[in-house]
Amino acid sequence: MSDYSKKRFLVIDDQPQARDALRTVAQTIGAFSVEFGSNYQDAIYRIRNNSPDIILCDYMLGDGRSGQQLLEELRRFNLLPDETIFMMVTGEQSYEQVVSAVELVPDDYIIKPFSPDKLVMRLDRIMAKKNFFAAYYREKRKQEFANALAILEAQRNSEAGRPYRFEILRQQAEVLLKSGDAQAAEQAYRNILEDYEFPWARAGVARSLHRQNRLTEARQEIDQVVASTPHFFDASDLKANICMAQGEHAEAQQILDEIAKKTPRNYLRKRLLAEAATLNGDIETARAAMADIITNDTMPGAIAAKDRLAMARSHVDAKDKISGEKVLVTLRDTEIQNMSLDEQASYSALLALCSPERGKARFAGLRPALLATELDPTTRIDVLRAALSVGDHELADRHADVLMSGSDAKKVFGALRSQYALYGREMDFRNIQKQVALRRIHQDGAATPAAQS
Amino acid sequence: MHHLLDILASGVHDAKNQLFVAESIIAALEAEHGIAMGEARYAIEAAAGRLSRTLAAYQVLRKDAAPAITPVIVGDLCDEVVMAQQRHLAVANIALTSDCQVIDEWLLDRDLVTDMLNNAIQNAGRYARSKVHLQATVDDGWLLIRIEDDGTGFPTLPPPYGTGLMVAHRLAALHVRKGRTGSLQLSNDASLGGACFELRLP
Repeated sequence: MSDYSKKRFLVIDDQPQARDALRTVAQTIGAFSVEFGSNYQDAIYRIRNNSPDIILCDYMLGDGRSGQQLLEELRRFNLLPDETIFMMVTGEQSYEQVVSAVELVPDDYIIKPFSPDKLVMRLDRIMAKKNFFAAYYREKRKQEFANALAILEAQRNSEAGRPYRFEILRQQAEVLLKSGDAQAAEQAYRNILEDYEFPWARAGVARSLHRQNRLTEARQEIDQVVASTPHFFDASDLKANICMAQGEHAEAQQILDEIAKKTPRNYLRKRLLAEAATLNGDIETARAAMADIITNDTMPGAIAAKDRLAMARSHVDAKDKISGEKVLVTLRDTEIQNMSLDEQASYSALLALCSPERGKARFAGLRPALLATELDPTTRIDVLRAALSVGDHELADRHADVLMSGSDAKKVFGALRSQYALYGREMDFRNIQKQVALRRIHQDGAATPAAQS
Repeated sequence: MHHLLDILASGVHDAKNQLFVAESIIAALEAEHGIAMGEARYAIEAAAGRLSRTLAAYQVLRKDAAPAITPVIVGDLCDEVVMAQQRHLAVANIALTSDCQVIDEWLLDRDLVTDMLNNAIQNAGRYARSKVHLQATVDDGWLLIRIEDDGTGFPTLPPPYGTGLMVAHRLAALHVRKGRTGSLQLSNDASLGGACFELRLP
């Protein structure tokens, strides 16, 4: 048995009686330092400030949140080092269904009631497993993906790795995807599926295909997952993302509307809903979702400049320039200076749209940079809209051309067409489309002989 | 149907939370006063297990029952079952031994299988004279888990087919992999001379 007296425990449960019971169990196995998290927010605050070694988290956290949501948020915001033990505690047998399906899982879960002995047994095993993967975790954290993969490969073939084979395969697939090798990740997930139809592995295939911009195939794969495991919400998020990439915005919004109702306090999902609603032209839903996020997402530091820009953007969509301007002017100069280039570009474009007298000069000042720089698709649309509004055809057409040539073409097509229509330039947009198509044919023609050789 | 399941699940959930509070208080007292209250804790866990099994039975008998398959280290699973039952059997002078020869992980529904094995050992303990043995092996690509005792064996074979047995058979059959389906066999072929429970998982 490991020595638990030096480990820092964090017990998260909204019920005081259950919290005491968990603390009692932790103390019985020798824990000296046991902190409490009485709710979701409190837990995040404590984990941020003083990362514990072992987290015992109840599945039901009250207030429409679950331990699973907490776990997902911690992983996404990188607040949970691989070395930290996260143990879900639950009276619900149904949690096993979640663990068997989803991509983000705790180190283990334990069903109430349980004895201190059983908890020790489980924790000891997790420690052994974490020791086994320690070198891999280090390389992964440094983003030394080649080293991380080499360690996993050696472990996969080792005798000591036999009890962890699936975990090794899963980690390999995840690292491949993270390192940008979507094709190899796809193959890794497919190998896992040969053993068993794990929903998370099928979702991994869909994710890898999406990264390769093989959208029709990605859609087929994710449809399977969503149909068979409706409680796997991340799969629905992924499906919505794929739908958006395919230009099927209504379907994306419908999917997200439905699951957002089941997870009303998942604000990452709400952001996705706002994006889908915007693309779908449902301005009011987008506006309401963004307003909800800005008011209620109390995760420290969660509301980023990007969210305020999204809020302003949805006001612009709703032709409510005054509200848009109000949002933008709440951003302080230091915040604007700390923005990424994309965000600064969006900020100046949106301000030019909301309040020409306030924003036009700034936007014009950025023009050389906006012509020359690579920007993300959302920002390009902002710039394009502002350029159209000030009659800067060259700037607008350049971004339209880039967007229509890229992998987001289907996603943004509807938005672009309506923007050009707004200024009576439908024909010009059609010409841009034509040029892009011609270039693609020309490139494909040139690429074919090379591919054959 | 789903509505009824939700009501049952929520009731079971609350009851198990309460049982956990009770067990943790007992565990704290044990630690504080150095007294052994293992049987009281065992009774609490057995009650919780019974609640879970009832809920699982209800779920399993529905048409859309699906197992929650995860990779499980078989040795760990056996260790946990032994830990849950050994002390209680020792009180009745029955020795529970185990022998797990499976190193690799196996794909199975951990909670369902654990529950099934706990139940089978409890049954074996009721009829054993002095020994119950748990064994896990791999046979031709199957995971084979046997529980044997040294009692008088089943008076009739196959044994009367009650609800418990039906559920156990269904649970085994929920494990399907590469065209193979799990199964359960009860016999009097135990090397210890008594009854033998044999679970085969693909």
